[in-house]
Amino acid sequence: MDGLAIFAQGVRKRFGAVEALRGLDLTVREGEIVGLLGPNGSGKTTFIRALAGLVRPEAGKVSVFGRAPGQAVAAGLIGYMTQAAALYGELTVEENLRFFCALQGRRDTERAISEALGTVDLEDRRRAIVSTLSGGMRTRVSLAAALLHEPRLLLLDEPTVGVDPLLRRDFWDHFRALAGRGVTILVSSHVMDEAARCDRLGLIRAGVVIAEGTAAELTARAGASDLESAFVRLAEASA
Amino acid sequence: MSARRVAAVARRIVAQFRRDHRSIGLLVVAPIIVMSLVGALWGTSAQTVARAVVASDRSVAAARVAAMLDATAGVEAREASYAEGLAALRAGTADALLTVGPGGVTVLLEGSDPLRTGGVAASLQGALRELGPSAAVSPRIEYLYGGADFTLLDALAPVVIAFFAFFFIFLLSTVSFLRERSSGTLERLMASPLRRGELVLGYLVGFTFFALVQAAILVSFTVFVLGVSYRGSLVAIFVVEAALVIVSVALGLLVSAFARNELQAIQFIPLVVVPQAFLGGLLVPVDQLPDLLRPIAAVLPLTYATEALRAVMVKGYPLDDPLVLRDLGVIALFGVLTVGGAIASIRREVA
Repeated sequence: MDGLAIFAQGVRKRFGAVEALRGLDLTVREGEIVGLLGPNGSGKTTFIRALAGLVRPEAGKVSVFGRAPGQAVAAGLIGYMTQAAALYGELTVEENLRFFCALQGRRDTERAISEALGTVDLEDRRRAIVSTLSGGMRTRVSLAAALLHEPRLLLLDEPTVGVDPLLRRDFWDHFRALAGRGVTILVSSHVMDEAARCDRLGLIRAGVVIAEGTAAELTARAGASDLESAFVRLAEASA
Repeated sequence: MSARRVAAVARRIVAQFRRDHRSIGLLVVAPIIVMSLVGALWGTSAQTVARAVVASDRSVAAARVAAMLDATAGVEAREASYAEGLAALRAGTADALLTVGPGGVTVLLEGSDPLRTGGVAASLQGALRELGPSAAVSPRIEYLYGGADFTLLDALAPVVIAFFAFFFIFLLSTVSFLRERSSGTLERLMASPLRRGELVLGYLVGFTFFALVQAAILVSFTVFVLGVSYRGSLVAIFVVEAALVIVSVALGLLVSAFARNELQAIQFIPLVVVPQAFLGGLLVPVDQLPDLLRPIAAVLPLTYATEALRAVMVKGYPLDDPLVLRDLGVIALFGVLTVGGAIASIRREVA
């Protein structure tokens, strides 16, 4: 599985009566930006959590750079940005980053923090208490925290929810720059216009990937004029 | 296990609370207020059956005196050697050791519980008066622990300190860890190389720091402001305190797994904290509990912490005294169980 960042095959996961993943397949090559596109409750977050080693599937195979997710996490290969900002509101931006840096075992803390803050353009907010920041800024700190240890795979769970369009554009510039440095990115979204920025898309519905390809491929395959109607047609066809 | 990561978690907890002035204030001010109330509230007086031992090897007609004392109301008396009597006082199976010499009567009182000591002294004085004028010539009173001016507050201070360490640290750790779960940071931590054991250990170190700061202030306040007399070493008090706090932090982490929000967490107080207040020696000494409740007291960590703190503060026992060691051992066992439970509860939440 050389050159594969993510390999998932027949992944199943059930929470009580709800079957969140029902045989999901997806492969992502190193350096790709792949969008996981689907409505709320389609299993995007569960799949991302499985990749981050937080959910153990009942069936199927999941590997990250050829390793089990837990091992990949322990080796510092994965950066995970959760849907909520997941920061300590009582601490400053710098204190938060310093803490996550220590957990990842990175020694050159100062450089790591400066680089991560530079990437998200928040150098001037270094000493601000996180709870006093706006939602958009918190999201940026959250991204910085996921970047600190220079992971090879970034898992971004709806990173641009509630982010204004200008900032969203900046975010995508960051993502593109990271991919340029060889970082693989899996980003979930239910916003169709974001999807067009990905190298490739996986359309996910009811716990399975119903179609994979570039935005252009998918619209062409569905014979649709835009991605949204392509999603609807492909979903109907798969049902 | 990485010391650096454990230290990072502990440092973060200290930093978070450093800015939470209200919690810090409550941690210190609330116990001081309650301690002051306890001091104002509790005087001394009670009626008790005195368990007396007459020292056969140092008394004249010990058997006769013991029999006569035993026949009076309010006193149970027997004869035994002075050494045996002293051992019984230490073990808490006797309240007073009498030496009846030609020069008069000497009464050695156990003295660690002023409520009981007052009652015992009164019962014995009454009984001695009945024995005859020669015995009644004011007996010389001595104390094994405490002294004539030893008040109920002196006896209760260690218990109150233990209770507050337990209560406040339990609350803080429950709510902090609950926030860790609900804000999503636990998710982030579990998606990092941090291990569950390292996280729990970091919490223990961080909160023990606060508990010891709290204990230092509270002990100083009770000793220097309220004038509570105390024996034994500060180090011993801190060791017992730290052991208890580890249990309360771990219990807090465990409880937070069963609460969805802060309101629910507070509802665990009646379940976890109140029984310990009633049965752990804060309100009623454990050996005076009804038989039905004693087994419950035996499975509460506070019972052992109270006993150990009383031993080191009131009786001046060293840390390596068998009784203190046994109590610390039991607290450590609680610690192992609750820490294990806390670690397991994190696995359940985040796969």
